[in-house]
Amino acid sequence: MYDLILDSSDKELLVAVAKDETIVDKIEYEAWQKQSELMVQELDNLFKRNNINKLDISSILLTIGPGSYTGIRIALTIAKVIAYSLNIKIYPFSSLQILQFEKKPSICLINARSCRSYIGVYDGNNTILKDQVMKNEDVLEYIKNHKEYVICGDCGYLNLEGYKNDKCLNMLALKSFIKPTDSFHVKPIYLKD
Amino acid sequence: MNKTLTLIANNEQQTIDLAIQVSKYCYPGLVICLTGDLGAGKTTFVKGLAKGLDIKEKVLSPTFNILKCYFNKTLNLYHIDAYRLEDTNKDIGLEEYIDGDGVCAIEWPQYIEEYIPSHILTIELLSLPNNSRQITFTTNIEKLFIMFDNLTIRKDDD
Repeated sequence: MYDLILDSSDKELLVAVAKDETIVDKIEYEAWQKQSELMVQELDNLFKRNNINKLDISSILLTIGPGSYTGIRIALTIAKVIAYSLNIKIYPFSSLQILQFEKKPSICLINARSCRSYIGVYDGNNTILKDQVMKNEDVLEYIKNHKEYVICGDCGYLNLEGYKNDKCLNMLALKSFIKPTDSFHVKPIYLKD
Repeated sequence: MNKTLTLIANNEQQTIDLAIQVSKYCYPGLVICLTGDLGAGKTTFVKGLAKGLDIKEKVLSPTFNILKCYFNKTLNLYHIDAYRLEDTNKDIGLEEYIDGDGVCAIEWPQYIEEYIPSHILTIELLSLPNNSRQITFTTNIEKLFIMFDNLTIRKDDD
């Protein structure tokens, strides 16, 4: 049985399959504003080239935000349809937590636009600062005051070099801490409301 | 500091031509707010911008769509009509286009005030008799000041 991994919460498109906590295959690339056209196609490619029967998917690992308003809803919609039709559970992940560097406390960042960031600070499964929207000037101040933390994510918008970790591996490593949910009860997290 | 320029376009073609001139100064992240009554020519102006950016798709008012995206090699154009967002939930991710990788033209910006950045180009269109338009450009973006020295009404046979 396989785990299906889906993420389109920011600029990237990620689809992957894992078996026994190990990645079997993945497709991951930048596809800003193109995820809705590409994700289903890439899923099909992934299944075909690995000879995976869709009925053998036993759970879905999904990022539910924060991040791009439309992006979050693309993977979420696809995950819900698959989970409902196969009657399987979804493991909902913070799109910030899965950016972390697994060996050190990490400041995880996603551009929230309008001079703001989505920020969450994690040390493995421990939340040091819960996901929130923060002004970029306050983010920079927070970073200055926590020099021992690793900055993670695509931080070019802050003129910072962020550590880019393997999101799939993080999701697999954190899976045991996440409560699986049925397809009707997974909701996008959009912190600006 | 603000810079302002008012020009009179005598017909639709001259409005479009002005927009084509403006399009040459557009860059990723520029926000153009278009104000004026229904029928003043806001969408016509965006048509000119699209033409100047070499976008082949037909530009129609996104009154019902709220947002239309024109993906394009030169520069992406995002066209927002916020008219129907008055007194509704505005949290639909517009900031990804306003603070994005293209130029964003916004009609009825007063209905999404909280998303409008501090530095913008404002274009106010006013209907005059004989189908002509008074077009007022205002900006506080310094790198656009040069545009204000160069914008002119070109006669139709130029």
